Parts: sequence; structure tokens; C-alpha cells
Amino acid sequence: MAEAAVLAPPRIRPRLSRDEWLMGGGLCVLALYLAITLLVPLVIMLAKSMQDRDGVFVSLANFIKYFTNPALTGAIGHSLWVSALATLIVIALAFGYAYALTRGCIPFKGFFRLVAMAPLLAPSLLSAIALIYLFGNQGALKGWLFGESIYGPIGIVLGSVFWTFPHALIILITALSTADARLYEASESLGASRWRTFATVTLPGARYGLISAIFVVFTLVITDFGVPKVIGGQFNMLATDIYKQVVGQQNFQMGAVVSLILLLPAVVAFFVERWAQSRQSSAVSSRAVPYHPKPRPVRDLALLGLVSLVALVILGILGMAAFASLAKLWPYDLSLTLRHYDFNTADGGSWTAYGNSIEMAFYTAVLGSLVVFSGAYLVEKTRIAKPLRTATHLLALIPMAVPGMVLGLAYIFFFNAPGNPLNFLYGSMAILVLATIAHFYTVSHLTALTALKQLDPEFESVSASLKTPFYRTAWRVTAPMCLPAILDIAIYFFVNAMTTVSAVVFLYSPATTLASVAVLNMDDAGDTAPAAAMAMLIVFTAGAVRLLHAGSSRWLHRRTQAWRGC
Amino acid sequence: MTTPYLRVRNLTKRFGDFTALDDVSIDLYQGEFVCFLGPSGCGKTTLLRAISGLDIQTHGTVEQNGHDISALPPAKRDFGIVFQSYALFQNLTVARNIAYGLENRKQPKEAIRRRVQELLELIGLPDSGNKYPSQLSGGQQQRVALARALAVSPGLLLLDEPLSALDAKVRVYLRDEIKALRRRLGITTIMITHDQEEAISMADRIVVMRAGKIEQIGTPLEIYHQPASLFVAEFIGAMNLLPALLVQQGEIQLGQTRLACTVNGFAPGTAVQAAVRPEDVVCTGRTNGHANSFRAEVRDLEFMGPFFWLSLSGGELGEHRLRAQLPSQRARELDLRPRDSTHLHIPAEHIRLFPEGYSHG
Repeated sequence: MAEAAVLAPPRIRPRLSRDEWLMGGGLCVLALYLAITLLVPLVIMLAKSMQDRDGVFVSLANFIKYFTNPALTGAIGHSLWVSALATLIVIALAFGYAYALTRGCIPFKGFFRLVAMAPLLAPSLLSAIALIYLFGNQGALKGWLFGESIYGPIGIVLGSVFWTFPHALIILITALSTADARLYEASESLGASRWRTFATVTLPGARYGLISAIFVVFTLVITDFGVPKVIGGQFNMLATDIYKQVVGQQNFQMGAVVSLILLLPAVVAFFVERWAQSRQSSAVSSRAVPYHPKPRPVRDLALLGLVSLVALVILGILGMAAFASLAKLWPYDLSLTLRHYDFNTADGGSWTAYGNSIEMAFYTAVLGSLVVFSGAYLVEKTRIAKPLRTATHLLALIPMAVPGMVLGLAYIFFFNAPGNPLNFLYGSMAILVLATIAHFYTVSHLTALTALKQLDPEFESVSASLKTPFYRTAWRVTAPMCLPAILDIAIYFFVNAMTTVSAVVFLYSPATTLASVAVLNMDDAGDTAPAAAMAMLIVFTAGAVRLLHAGSSRWLHRRTQAWRGC
Repeated sequence: MTTPYLRVRNLTKRFGDFTALDDVSIDLYQGEFVCFLGPSGCGKTTLLRAISGLDIQTHGTVEQNGHDISALPPAKRDFGIVFQSYALFQNLTVARNIAYGLENRKQPKEAIRRRVQELLELIGLPDSGNKYPSQLSGGQQQRVALARALAVSPGLLLLDEPLSALDAKVRVYLRDEIKALRRRLGITTIMITHDQEEAISMADRIVVMRAGKIEQIGTPLEIYHQPASLFVAEFIGAMNLLPALLVQQGEIQLGQTRLACTVNGFAPGTAVQAAVRPEDVVCTGRTNGHANSFRAEVRDLEFMGPFFWLSLSGGELGEHRLRAQLPSQRARELDLRPRDSTHLHIPAEHIRLFPEGYSHG
């Protein structure tokens, strides 16, 4: 052995090309960006939870104070059971809905799909406001609750079901559309009953999708702030407690404690969801034969009934919000007026807020898709610095596990610190954009990665052999081929920037107040009709942008169909 | 043929504990066409990627045209490469694909246009410049990929299983195309393939690889007729392997018969494996006019068109089984049926001996 070591020729140290230096540098910049806008603020928040108001280290004193206060710890139980109940209802409904769209033979599938996606365009607050109009003290359908109050867990569950429904539906449709017809033929030929086929083929095939959907919805509900804030009444939840501690009592340290507690279920859900995702994608072999549903009148009629009912409720809630924004004085004078859209008379809202939201959403979409796509490109294509690539990729996955409230609070701690050279960002439009990009980074990053992985991995090898710098190939080949994905990312950022409340509610300043926050503030001040009007304005804007996106995607597809070969 | 154009010396590539390439050395001469041949996982792709700089080796050196390029990144080396997947830029036209490497060299537009047209004609697609890759067939796309690699006039052409993704007929056609084109340009070329037929029909020299090591380097004829190891003998073409005993210099005992053969380096009394190609087994029917002959029984006849596969055993062969290739015309003359007894003749120079105890796989 010793002899072999002496004889071993010198190890070749590959000389780095300019491309590799540039990409390595880019990766460092990206890692730094993600550290500043994500990791460092979260770590500082962790530290703050162990300090008193004067910044003195107090170990676990804040946690002890929290857990010995039943008024506070009650929120943990509340959050858990409300989220679990809402998840159960959403999954049941969404599974039926997805089953009808993928396995049933029902008419108007396109229409039903579109209706089910509508809640994505609205801030979560909208459903809560609509529910108040329907079931509140002066609600149109108050009697339906048999004397129970909508302000509390019932309202939170119903409102959460409305806005998380499309999130579950998207996952379940994907899970159910990848069916292998051969399994159904085998089951049928073996004489299995339909229920047995459903239990032994359909359900197992969709099980990872189901797990994934369950955890996504649970995370969305438990971390949501808008619905419980508007309709929760005295019923406290973790997310609203953070807001109360920070905005109401200015107790930032206790806010950090609650944030960490809220982070826990979200982190667990994150890991389970990642695991389920990785299993789902490998569940279908490339040799599967696609399943085509055959009509079965009884089943199809039942499915059509379910789908129609759900669609009717969704449209009803949206319609209620729209009507509320137009009715002169609910419930006494129901003549229509546009005066609620004149926000200058309402407390906490203004057209400026709407303009700010558009501006913020635009910057988030442009900057976000640029950062995310370049970032995913560097993570996927850099040939050196593997540890840095892995670390950056993991950083990009963190936001999915971080509730918006927690991120917002962490930003306060980090950017508002007197010694921070980035302090000037505090209260600016820029910090809202940075927070929103960070908040919605993960899904965009994964979309970009998926698109990049579909390209031939040898493009870069060919490009290097032709002495072409990587950025030229990225610009002329990679980015154009990924354009549909880049557009998807931009639109995802835009719509979420329009509708989000949780992260930005701690970060806006009087000069940068946003439409979604204005909904919250107007509702808080009792101006419910203008709040509904602003919420509808967000729906219209997000809807219009979505339409624009669909149009441009179609145009792009036509323009590029020559080379896409279809 | 004085100094080699490409000198590969003691190349080793390790991935953690796994040694993908183990002390490989090869010389390539100017204008030569060399195939790296071997089963998947033999290290041929690793070797190609080391030569191109796409995945640089752990130890060892590569010299091209007298320059040490061992540690250089691909962009600093002089080669063109074609992949099995074509790796054509789908969103650019055929002409833009071919021009891709030229546009980077600040040449006048007109010169680029002329060069592209010249290459389009060279690959037999003069009118396809404005088409997109997806509008072409697989074989045409691979020709475009070849033109793109050749556009910048590289000193070395690397072909990474260029024909493996194509249909059988297109593959044979493109095989001849590449051969002719290459001969015209005289460019030094390395092609990797797992298809022995492809390697034999195209290459000037073949490098047979196995488990990260070179088993044999030689012309197709040498590789086929004088395999250096049992692995090469079995991997290239069909081969009968029969346990035998070297009874004295130049003679083996096979079943109940004794056959003369050329022997190198075995002591009398050694158990050996006798390797015989099926086409070297001559079937003489009822007549027996040769030395080195024996009798066996026909077990099975399989008609393959131009020839029959003959399965033989029994008679003087005893338990051993032998496959022979019998030309269809000869089979008609002999009119053989299963269970017929026939005389067989194997010329001494077509029997090769290998040490016993090694079996493939």
C-alpha cells in the first residue's frame, strides 16, 4: 500500500473556465441573497424569542411564560382542531370534485374547473367577509346556523374551506389523472366489484396525492391569518395571536415565541409533503396506458350533483362579496351603487393602496421570476461547488415551511435593527417585494427546476465544445425554451402578491399600504362594504391578469409550435 | 504516423470508491477513426468525457497535438461532439444550429451563411436550413448535429453513441454516411458504441473495454480473428467455447477427438477453453477428406435466410455442444436433417486457446 501511494501519479486539478467562475460567483450571490432575505431573519427571530424587551438573554423564560398562560396556550388546541376539521372537509370535497373531473363522464368539465380555481384570485379575507354577509348578525341566511354564531370556529372552518379548496383540487387532479388503464382492465377481468376496484386501484394510486393535499391544506389553514382575523371573533388561533402580540401589545418577544410554535406543525407538514411528492412522481411507469372514463349514468349523475353544488357555493360566496360591495346599505337598502368603491371615505383604504398593490405585484413578478429562474438555472447547471448548490437548493425549499406571519415578524427583527445597513429598506416598497418573493419562493423554484430538467442535459456540453459562453446559450436557448414556465412563475408571483396579507401586514408603512391589507383594516374599522369592494377589486385584477396570461400563453404556443413539433 | 495526434496516458477516474477508469493509455494518430467498444458500464463514456474535458480524470494526462490538455476545461480544448440525444437547440432553425459555433467567432454574416450552406450540402440537406429540428427525422437531426460539430472545423470529432437512438435501417444508412463524410474530411474521430457490428464496419481501430480497463486495441480484423482475451472473443461476434485438454504441443483433446491447433504459452496437460467461430466450422457431410475432422450428430437446424444455424453434439464430440454456421447453398447440397450424422472440419489456425476457469459475466 505504501509503495502504491508513492507511485500514484499526481491528482489532476481541473482548471476552471471563465464560465465556471461566473456561475460559481452567481451561485454565491444567490446564496447570499437567500441568506439575507430568509435565513438570517429567521435565525434572528429565534434569538429574539430568548430575549427580554431590552435584548437581554433570558433563556426559555418567554416560553415558560407562554406555556403557563392558558389564555395563550389555548390557541394551540384551537389551531390544531380547526385546521384538522377544515382539512377533512376540503379533502373530502376536493377528492369528489377531482374524481368527477378526471374519472367521471360529466358535461362542462372546463367550466367546473374554472369555477373551482376562482378562489385563487381572492385574498383569503374575501370568503370571511362574504360569510359575514351570509351568516353574520345581519346575515341573509342567519337562520341556517340554528342559533350558532358564525364568528368563531364555524366561520373559520367554512372560510378556510373556500379558499384552500383549489389548492387541494390541483394536487388531487394531478394524482387522479395519472391512472393506468391496464390496472382497471385487470381488476374488471378478475371480477372485482366497482367498490373493490375503487378501494384497491383508485385510492392506492392517489394515496400520495392525498397525503400531499392533506398536508398542504393543513399548513395553509393553520398559518392563515386573514380568515380568523376577520371572522374569528374572540376565538384565538396561533396566527392571530402573533398579530395581537406584535401589533396590539407591541410584545415582539412573545410574538417570536408564538411564531416558533406555529413553525413546528408547518415544518412537519413540509417534510411529509416533500416525501409524498417524491413518491407520487415515481409511482407511474412510462409504459402506463392512459385511462379513459366510460359513462355510468348513476355515478355520473351523483358526481354532477356534487360538482354543481360545490360550484354553486363557490359562485355564491364570490357573488355575495360582489353584491355586498354594490349594495347601498346592507341589509336595509339593497339598491346598487358604486360608492363603496370610492375608498377615500372609508377608514383604512384608498385607491393609493390599490395602486401600491399593482406596483408591488408587478415588481414581485418581474424581479421574482428573474431571481428564481436564474437561481434554479445556477443550481441545476453549475458544474462546480456541489455543496454550495445543495445548500442553495435547500435554502430555496425553506419558504414552503415558513408561515407568512413568521416571515413578516422575522423581517421586522432583522431589517428594523438599528445597526443593520439594510435598515433603509424598512418601510419601503422594496421590503414588501423582497418579503413576497421570499414567501412564495419554493413553488416557483420547483417549477423552474422541473422545466430545466426537461431540457437535454448536453446543451451545455455542446455549447462548451463550440466555445460559446454559457450565458449566451442560456439566453438564446435555455430561457426561450423555458418561457412558458417563466410566465407561469411570473403570474404566480403577481397573483399571490395581490392577495397575500400575512407577511406584508407587519411590513407596510403608511406610504406603502396595500389593497389586501386595506381590506383587513377597513373591515376592522367596520367599513365592511368598502372592504368587500376592495376584495372584489383584487379578484378582478388577478382575474384580468390571469386572462392576459392565458392569452399570451396561447399566442406563445402558436408562435413556437413550429419548433415544438405539434 | 510518427507522433500520435492524441496521447492518453494512465488515465484513471474515480467516483468515490468506484473506479470507472483504471490506468488507460491509448495513442490516436492523425486522421484515424477509433471506436471505443464495450458493454454499458465499461468506462467508454467516462473515457470520452475525460478526453473532452466534460468530466476531467482523477489521474493521468491527455495530450492533443503536442499540447498537454489534461486539466483544461472543454471550452479551451479543440473538439466537436455529437450526442446520442442529438442535443439540437429545438428553438433555433437548422441553419442557426449549424451556425451556432460560428456566430461566436465574429465572422462576417455572409461567410457564416456560405459555410452553413456548404455544410447543409455536405450532410445532404441543402434545403432544410429554415426548418426546425422537430420537423426532421431522427437520422436527419443527427446529421444536423454532426454538421454543427463540424462547422468550426475542430481537430477532433467525438461521437457519443450517435446511432443508438435510430431505427435499424436508418442506422446502417447513416453509418455509411458518417464513414464517407469522415474520410472526405480526414478528421481524427472517436466514436463510442456498444454495438460491435457498428464498430467493426466503421472503425480503423477498435478499443475494447471492460470494467474500466482496455482489453484489446486492434484493427477490426485483429479483434475479430485474434481476440486477446476470452472476453473479447465472446463479446465480438458469435463464439463456441469448448473445454479441452492440451495433450501435447499443437494438439488438443476435445471429446473423443484430437485436433491440431496453434498453441502459444500453455504447458502440455493444461485444461483449456478452445474458441471456434461458428463460421469456421466446415460441414463436409458424409465425406471426410480432411485432417482435423470429427463426426457429430445434428441436433437442430435453424433457418436464418442466407445460412442455417447448426446445433451439433454426440458422436466424437460427446457431451459438448457446438454451433456451426452453414451457408444455405451448402445446406441444400448436403440435405441435412436432425439426427443425421455428419463430418466436421475445423482448420487448425481457427482454433484459439484460452486459459480455463474464467467465464464471462
